[in-house]
Amino acid sequence: MAIGRKIWPVQGDPLRRNPSRAATPRPSQPGFERWMWYFTRISGLLLVVLAMGHMLIMHVLVQLTGDEINFAFVTSRWGTPFWRIYDLALLVLALVHGVNGARIIIGDYVERGGLRSLLIGLLMALTFVLLLVGIFVIVTFDPNGAPAVGPFS
Amino acid sequence: MLRLFRYRISWSQLAWFGHRLSGIGVLVYLFMHIVENATLSFGPDVYNTTQTWFHNLPVRLGEIVLMAALVYHSLNGLRVIAMDFWPSTTRWYRPMTYAVIIGTIAAMIPLGLIMITPYAPWNGR
Repeated sequence: MAIGRKIWPVQGDPLRRNPSRAATPRPSQPGFERWMWYFTRISGLLLVVLAMGHMLIMHVLVQLTGDEINFAFVTSRWGTPFWRIYDLALLVLALVHGVNGARIIIGDYVERGGLRSLLIGLLMALTFVLLLVGIFVIVTFDPNGAPAVGPFS
Repeated sequence: MLRLFRYRISWSQLAWFGHRLSGIGVLVYLFMHIVENATLSFGPDVYNTTQTWFHNLPVRLGEIVLMAALVYHSLNGLRVIAMDFWPSTTRWYRPMTYAVIIGTIAAMIPLGLIMITPYAPWNGR
């Protein structure tokens, strides 16, 4: 056990630069990358509570109470503003947190050039569409059970 | 150190790789989850029919893997945050790595047992 050994910062290949921390050191220059560095950590703290709470309710508590996830169950939850706001916050934070991580992973493995731009561009386009769909579904959900307004009605 | 195929890798490197793998896994699930939940906008019949597709053993096993990925990503993420904001804790990076792995396994024993219950032999199926 090499407790106390200096492991950071280590120069070199970004993939091996910081293996024990599962993360890059804080960007030295202020700007977008540093904002996202802070966002990832702060949203991560919130997501530990939000995502774990969500999973414990939907996959463990539902099991223990003998309930079943169906339209009536969703109606009972999204009938109250609290759970809609909870799920909306979870959706936005998790999606931005996760997609930013995926963007960094693409950047690590695809060094530069057109392929990197293409992959990140596709990721951003997919994220934008899914973010709009997710927000639409939560906001327009009708507790009375009628199909929501819009092209789906 | 542990041996994986022909490589000698540290638990720390495994923790780092596991963080990325679990993160991508949860993100891919989130993408599918948003699409699946969009059936809510088509009314109760469409949603309830779609939900019955997911009430089977393979999907439940996938949910348990998802839970394990989320628990691991959460615990390891807390370790990363601790070391980022309190650099002196990097002194304990190795014990903390072990704590994350042991904590994930310890949490998944009760959670996995509860989640597998509907498909378990002791439930009379």
